[in-house]
Amino acid sequence: MVNATKGLCITCDIPMAQFIINMNNSLPASQKFIIHVLDSTHLFVQPNAAEMIRGAIAEFRDRNSYEKPA
Amino acid sequence: MPQVRIIAKNFMDMVASLPAMKLDNLYSNAFICEAILRSLPPLAKKYVLQMLCIDGPISAKSMQEWVLADGASKHKVAVDRLLQLRIFTETVDRKRETSYRLNPVFQSNLQKLLVSGEVLPGEPLPSSITARLPSLEELDVFAIEQWECFMLQLINSSQAERPSNISSSTMKVFQRGLLTQRDKEAPRLTESGFQFLDRGVDPADLISFLLELSFHVTGEAYNISSLTDIQRETIKDLADLGLVKLQQGRKESWFIPSKLATNLSMSLTDSSSRKQGFVVVETNFRMYAYSTSKLHCEILRLFSRIEYQLPNLIVAAITKESLYNAFENGITAEQIISFLQQNAHPRVAERIPSVPENVTDQMRLWEADLNRVEMIPAHCYDEFPSREVFEGACEFAREGNGFLWEDSKKMRLIVKAEIHKNMREYLSRSK
Repeated sequence: MVNATKGLCITCDIPMAQFIINMNNSLPASQKFIIHVLDSTHLFVQPNAAEMIRGAIAEFRDRNSYEKPA
Repeated sequence: MPQVRIIAKNFMDMVASLPAMKLDNLYSNAFICEAILRSLPPLAKKYVLQMLCIDGPISAKSMQEWVLADGASKHKVAVDRLLQLRIFTETVDRKRETSYRLNPVFQSNLQKLLVSGEVLPGEPLPSSITARLPSLEELDVFAIEQWECFMLQLINSSQAERPSNISSSTMKVFQRGLLTQRDKEAPRLTESGFQFLDRGVDPADLISFLLELSFHVTGEAYNISSLTDIQRETIKDLADLGLVKLQQGRKESWFIPSKLATNLSMSLTDSSSRKQGFVVVETNFRMYAYSTSKLHCEILRLFSRIEYQLPNLIVAAITKESLYNAFENGITAEQIISFLQQNAHPRVAERIPSVPENVTDQMRLWEADLNRVEMIPAHCYDEFPSREVFEGACEFAREGNGFLWEDSKKMRLIVKAEIHKNMREYLSRSK
């Protein structure tokens, strides 16, 4: 019987993929969201992880920002 | 069928995109015919004038011979535009040969125009009644002021000095139309700006009124009582936008069309209304805008950080954070770049490119940085009973346009969530 799993297919560049895998490994086992690592640029994750991944990427992006005080 | 799609970026394009019946009705008005003739590309104008006195159809082949080989694409664009405007009607006869002929109503109107010369729609009032006519400069200043106040209201409703007289419902319609497109153009009535006119008034009437208005002489006063009721209603809104100026004497009231109105039916080849640019962008991401207008300041504030505002100069800096703000509001880097290029100060306008490449490239990179990860809802199928079922499922996914990933060694297939149902049926069928 063919097994069907619902999830999210993520396509990104290699550094981003590593970032997501690293984030996944730092979480406790009950919260890990990566189902399969397909290759260096594709991942298959749980559907409810989308917002969490987007938030983590935005936070990572903002870490390098400096806003001159007005 | 015309193969060239006209993207309505200005008033004439919007007229061209009306449905066929409305266009045919419009052509009964001689001014509209003349305005549309002015707006055609040069080759199309030549064709119309050549066909003006010919009653029968002309075969497409002989028209093709009117141009040299390297003008073939311009010929195609011209013919398609004429077909779309229903000025040319195409007929295919029994020998499978296409031929074109000129729309008869259009043709007779233009012939009358040639014979009788240009007739103005209304006579200007004698100056004995209109005591204080504003000079052309005053009229221009008024028009630009009104238009800018209106645009300012749209962009930032807390900054306008004078409350506008435009009703709040029209403002909302405008906001919906303009904000979804994020047009950053200044005084040229764009297609989106015309959506507010479709408020229960037949657009064809409005278009013919606007086109008649554009044939009036700038700066001359025309009696309001010469307008129909519908036109009278709209003229008040047009005054708020700066297209006309309303004035009242003791007994009569009149309107004076401004440059904005007469430019509506401008010929495509006449580019004398190019405004002077005012923005200088430097390679260190600094922007200097030689302008006093609040509207320009607000537009720049949308995507850059304003550092100083001096009496004749606005100094701004393009930063990552300011650009991210703009991207969140739906503005694309391409729009910002084209705005800067179109409004480049004359001192830098001759330089190619007018905006430094490092600035444009960095803006596009910052925009791309926001979309590094692409997420697609999907389903993963594994534990296939046999290789044939697996291969068949892959084929099915490819045909249904839902294929995302396959791993032949582990016999795992990933497919878009949209076709999950079809996949399920296919798999239960192939058991």
